[in-house]
Amino acid sequence: MAFLDIILNILSSGLPCCLLALGIFLTYRLLDFADLTAEGSFLIGAAICGTLICIGVNPFIATIASVLSGAICGIITGVLNRYLKIPKLLSGIITLTATASIALLIMGFANNEGIFKPQVSFTISYNGPQQTIYSLFFPWQYNETVGMYITPSPWGDIIKIIVMFVVVSLAMIAIYFFFGTQYGMAIRATGMNEKMAKAQGINTNIATITCIAISNALIGLAGALYVQEAKAVSAITASGYLVIGLASILVGEAIFGKRSFKNWLISVALGSIVYFIIVTIATRLGLPTELKSLLYAILITLALCIQLIKDFITKHKNKRLGTKGD
Amino acid sequence: MLELNHVTKRFNLTGTKEDTRVALDNISLQIKPGEFITIIGGNGSGKSTTLNVVSGALTPDQGTITLNGVDITKLKEFKRAAYFGRVFQDPMMGTSGDMSVIENLEIAFLRGKTHSPIKWGFSKRNKEYFIKQLKRLDLGLETRLNQKVGVMSGGQRQALTLLMATLRDRPSLKRMKKDYMTFSQNENAKLEFEIALQEEKNNFLIAKNEILKSNASNKKELIREEKEKMLDKMAKRFDITKQILLLDEHTAALDPKTARKVLELTNKIVRENNMTTLMVTHNMKDALTYGDRLIMFHLGHIILDVKGEEKKKLTPEDLLKMFEEADLKAIEQN
Repeated sequence: MAFLDIILNILSSGLPCCLLALGIFLTYRLLDFADLTAEGSFLIGAAICGTLICIGVNPFIATIASVLSGAICGIITGVLNRYLKIPKLLSGIITLTATASIALLIMGFANNEGIFKPQVSFTISYNGPQQTIYSLFFPWQYNETVGMYITPSPWGDIIKIIVMFVVVSLAMIAIYFFFGTQYGMAIRATGMNEKMAKAQGINTNIATITCIAISNALIGLAGALYVQEAKAVSAITASGYLVIGLASILVGEAIFGKRSFKNWLISVALGSIVYFIIVTIATRLGLPTELKSLLYAILITLALCIQLIKDFITKHKNKRLGTKGD
Repeated sequence: MLELNHVTKRFNLTGTKEDTRVALDNISLQIKPGEFITIIGGNGSGKSTTLNVVSGALTPDQGTITLNGVDITKLKEFKRAAYFGRVFQDPMMGTSGDMSVIENLEIAFLRGKTHSPIKWGFSKRNKEYFIKQLKRLDLGLETRLNQKVGVMSGGQRQALTLLMATLRDRPSLKRMKKDYMTFSQNENAKLEFEIALQEEKNNFLIAKNEILKSNASNKKELIREEKEKMLDKMAKRFDITKQILLLDEHTAALDPKTARKVLELTNKIVRENNMTTLMVTHNMKDALTYGDRLIMFHLGHIILDVKGEEKKKLTPEDLLKMFEEADLKAIEQN
């Protein structure tokens, strides 16, 4: 069962990051906008969802609130960049800085001790006030020895992964169809060639802001899935996800390619799973936690260089084929 | 009728007085519908600035720009796009390299329409139309619809941009009415439009009833066709904001042979559609060969404006002489 546990572990941390990677992909690849808001909207999404669940709000409403909060973060960054003419990187940093405070403020509402609570945590139980979108589907069973409702061991995790998978697939299908519509095409054109987009009658400001908002809404959703899986969030545990998302995109592109838009989306989503497989293997092999960040850095560098390596190999092959032909 | 009234544009206003450069100095210009104008002038003479001011990429410091008597000086660039088709000097600029030929055409076709977030970006009706139009370019692009524009040559990209600048879908009825009321200079525009619309609608309803009574198998399709016909008729009469073509040295980055081909193509498209055109060029021979009016800019002033017979008599040597004279005059004045 150990093997199954590992796989379930990888998937339960990897699937929320699929959404994160897709969100970052929309700004980083389609819009060529290195959006640092991602880190902030992930934290805000997780904080809002966690806090609302703590208070006892329906988990679906909590998740939708996370999505909206992410979208608002994106709109703020977009307005800063587009209308106040603040450079892309800086407008992301400004929103990111603001979200750190706002997340603490929100998490303060989780209980009545006062504001600025550094973390939110909750426990779920059958009939308890605090439920997640996963636990609603859990096969709860009454256990006589413990005297309460519990879920038999792997089933809870499996249901969790099925729910995550459904959410990720729906999000991917929505992205795929949206970017095939007239407005989606307009956004893509804006990202690739703004001068041309303007000449073709596209309101590039609104198109850019829309794309950043959609991207951060997805990241907020990723935060919501994450907090409902981990059942706890703090400003520290929710940090570093921007790098994870970016690494997922690069790893996915390097391994699975980007031939068409469909292929590209799937590559990015699979990238984050591959990323977590690599990290899990590394920790299983005894990599100390201190060195994790170093591993991330090396992974990203490798993923960025993989095109060079591929080119080198094909060049080498062609050379050899050429000499054989002679 | 496109008019520039006393347009002035200066650059580097925030710097010292010496840094300030006057790109356009009190320029007035009337452009009649259907006129093909070539614009020449040295570097920094204001010819590209003129196009940018017209297209809305730059706002003039003083003066107004009017289209059919309506002031469009403050209209945003993307909103003006419905009335202007543009081709830039850099072949990379006019098309989106990571998108396919058909995607680029679809984007251009939607100019002046709202981009719906629900409607699918491609339609079969458009595809057939695009293939027909691409065949006219005679570059074999109609067989490469799904190819990314980024891998094509500069000449092909420029030809595609030219086509994109001339294509535009029929506007929606609402937009048609608004534009007709704004630009027609007709007091009874609204009434006229509504009467015509009612008439066409009645015709459509009669045709629809006939189709419903008949026992054709593809009733829905026939009805849709009738509706298209009705909208086309309306567009033919009321879509008066004809495209104005703004070509900013669009052959400067091409090799001589390709440049010739693109120019011939430009001439063909302009003449066939009877389009109002402003073409900036560095090549005096081209400026004399094409178009029916020639304008020469020098340091933000118009120093020559000839038409018809007078233009035909000019030779490249005459133009060069005028350039040098203007230069000498400027030096003397300083």
